[in-house]
Amino acid sequence: MSDKIEGVKKLFTSKSARVETNRGESYYNNLFERCQARLDELRAQEPVNRLDFSELLSEHGTDRRDFMKWVSATTAMLMLPPMFAPLVAEAAELMNRAPVIWLELQDCAGNSEALLRSDGPKIDEIVLDIISLEFHETLMAPSGHQAEKQLDGAMGHFNGKYLLFVEGSIPVGAGKEWCTIGASGENFLDHLTRVAEGAAAVVAVGSCATYGGIPAAAPNPTGAVGVMDVIKGKPVINIPACPANPANMVGVVLHYVLTGQVPELDSLLRPKFAFGYRIHDNCERRAHFDAGEYVESWGDEGAKNNFCLYKMGCKGPMTFNNCSIVRYNEGVNWPIGVGRGCIGCSEPDFWDKYAYERPMADAKLKAPTGGVEKSVDEFGLGLLTAAGIGIGIHAAASAIAGKKEDGGEA
Amino acid sequence: MTKQLIDQIEGEASIRFDMKENMVDFATIAFPHFRGMEAILEGKPALDALVVTPRVCGICGHAHLMASVRAMESAYADANEPVQLTAKADTIREVTLVLEMIQNHFKWIYLVIMPELAKLRPEKIALTPLKGAYAASLASKALASFAGQWPHSSYMLPGGVSCDPTHLERIKAQSLVDELISFFEKECAGTALDDFLAFDSCHDFNALESDIGEIERALTAAGMHKKGFAYDRFMVLGEHRFTNPAKVMQTRLLQADEKHVKTHSAYSPSEKTFAKNACYKDEFYECGPLSRAMASNVELIKSMHRRFKDSAYSRVMARIFETARLLDHARDMLGSLALNEDSLIPPKPITGISGCGVGVVEAPRGPLIHRVEIEEGIIKSYEIVTPTQWNIGSSVKENPTPAQLAMMGNVTMEEALFIFRTFDVCSVCTTH
Repeated sequence: MSDKIEGVKKLFTSKSARVETNRGESYYNNLFERCQARLDELRAQEPVNRLDFSELLSEHGTDRRDFMKWVSATTAMLMLPPMFAPLVAEAAELMNRAPVIWLELQDCAGNSEALLRSDGPKIDEIVLDIISLEFHETLMAPSGHQAEKQLDGAMGHFNGKYLLFVEGSIPVGAGKEWCTIGASGENFLDHLTRVAEGAAAVVAVGSCATYGGIPAAAPNPTGAVGVMDVIKGKPVINIPACPANPANMVGVVLHYVLTGQVPELDSLLRPKFAFGYRIHDNCERRAHFDAGEYVESWGDEGAKNNFCLYKMGCKGPMTFNNCSIVRYNEGVNWPIGVGRGCIGCSEPDFWDKYAYERPMADAKLKAPTGGVEKSVDEFGLGLLTAAGIGIGIHAAASAIAGKKEDGGEA
Repeated sequence: MTKQLIDQIEGEASIRFDMKENMVDFATIAFPHFRGMEAILEGKPALDALVVTPRVCGICGHAHLMASVRAMESAYADANEPVQLTAKADTIREVTLVLEMIQNHFKWIYLVIMPELAKLRPEKIALTPLKGAYAASLASKALASFAGQWPHSSYMLPGGVSCDPTHLERIKAQSLVDELISFFEKECAGTALDDFLAFDSCHDFNALESDIGEIERALTAAGMHKKGFAYDRFMVLGEHRFTNPAKVMQTRLLQADEKHVKTHSAYSPSEKTFAKNACYKDEFYECGPLSRAMASNVELIKSMHRRFKDSAYSRVMARIFETARLLDHARDMLGSLALNEDSLIPPKPITGISGCGVGVVEAPRGPLIHRVEIEEGIIKSYEIVTPTQWNIGSSVKENPTPAQLAMMGNVTMEEALFIFRTFDVCSVCTTH
């Protein structure tokens, strides 16, 4: 018991579990200057496309006020103080200086679908028009050989500068030669390695690209792995979840435009601005958890009264993501809003370990302090251990992946 | 032999053409992706399928969820523990399924069909892909009011749905659907939805000064009413309020039963493929919106079919017309949703269930079948048959699949590539 509490305490205070929201004046002043210099530099550059942000905004009937509202929200999301708002606005306008190449590998295209309806001041337009999406297999106009030519062109022209977004896992086992792309029949691993070569950073979007995802579920028929397992010597940013939240994709691009750097990452290479806290921390049903009010079976009185879904297998207490704040589909709703609980889709192995209706206490998870929880009714202890399990997985996974404990800024 | 890659779909496909005097003589189709979903499901707790199967596809995951939950409910029945569903739960499932179809159709119209048509008739078509993205986003927001998120929701469960919407959610969804209908009227159809649905001849499309009018005219100008014919027999297997299961031979409606559906490995001599061909009693059938309209006796489409049979024209216009019908249907269903009923009547825990089940739904592209065998709550075997396996299989020249047949004969390669798109391809579903 006491070693459990000690272990949990250690995990909570470990460096990678901490989100620093106030780094002091001199830090921010310094960062402000760096960002300003970066933006000036970008402004001097030739835009990748000729689209004018303000024109597009007014064309779509979005006024400056709506835009500034979005700017404040985004500045806060990136965990920057309000003084950065004008810079964030400028960065949004300079997004047409950031070439993005998007690859789809072993996937279901769900993240692209999610991106197509991202939010903000008509961010659909920002993403599709302003961000120079130089190459996207699903969204772009040319196809086949023409598309390959366009990819080669983009890679050459923006060598060393483009952000490479990757959707989908990479089969490196039996499936390595089963999945191919393009006219030459290049396998996914070779394709990714080749395109990643000239990228400024690689962004793995969705849980497949991050950890292998559903294709990597036991018995992992194709030997699927994530981007960070195969791309070495390049900054990798993970934006897990199934699908990844478009707000976080836009956030990463914006951060890159603003600072020229990779955002601060946790031990699983996830940006802390989005994955620095747990679903549970800001859950709308949290009060019911604290009061010990649970849904005990689907459709019961508790379900009708929006009680806590912990006993129905909600993985909110151990899942790091900002969906309880950002929500999905332009903020309309999120899974817990429809009473089905979090499946932990931004955590490694969710597909095998904690899918549907398996209370965390019953899941095949070994708490880092030893022992597996049996009864969720001892919820005080249950919670602590559960949180510990979540963080424990991070530590274990990063040890396996050979990642350093603190991602830091690259 | 010429190989053509097909992008802008979920995943990738490639077609190999055998040409004779610049016309397509024969074509084989390959889907070079694979994930192994069925193997992944084996040995997992049954309810995990509700998390795994929606992730087969980024654009019709909801249809997979519904097929999966129907398969489980059918396994309950097989184990003599029939599951009850309230009208409310049934309506919510149906509304979200229909909204998913709507978003798919809008994206297909604006991100696939218009650009592809523009390749044949570049002077005619103005490209506005963002219109499709915007309409799709309205539909998926309405959907998320009940399902929590889109894509990839798992809110359906044996016995009902996990959400318990209040009037607030209903009103939110209604206002989104109303907004979408206005968008459709103003930006796509150029006429009121009710008037559009009351059309009685395809001449009426021709007069529209709108995107849909433009598409119709371009299709005719490209001769697509005289090309792209398949077998003129159709298959609908899902039981829904907007359509009904039927085997349609030209215009005759016959009974259809999922048990006659089998899959065979696809034929692809020069390239590896993970696709299968779906057959009904060893014969190929076309499925999708045109089939559904034929099966449920939609007058306009039947009259179109009398003139243009199962041409590429009919296939495109049937999907556009279905979009309008589904918008109307979604509005009606939201209006009639009884909020005071139970969302879910809990069945016995699935750990006590052993049996076989089948779930069939109409997905955006046609019938989607999930077959499951459960032993004490654990999945013994799982089989998924997807709509693209019906339409876009690859077989030998003597016995082509609907898409192969539609591309053969008097068409150029350019035209064949367009005809291929009229089936609405989904590669990730095909191979899963």
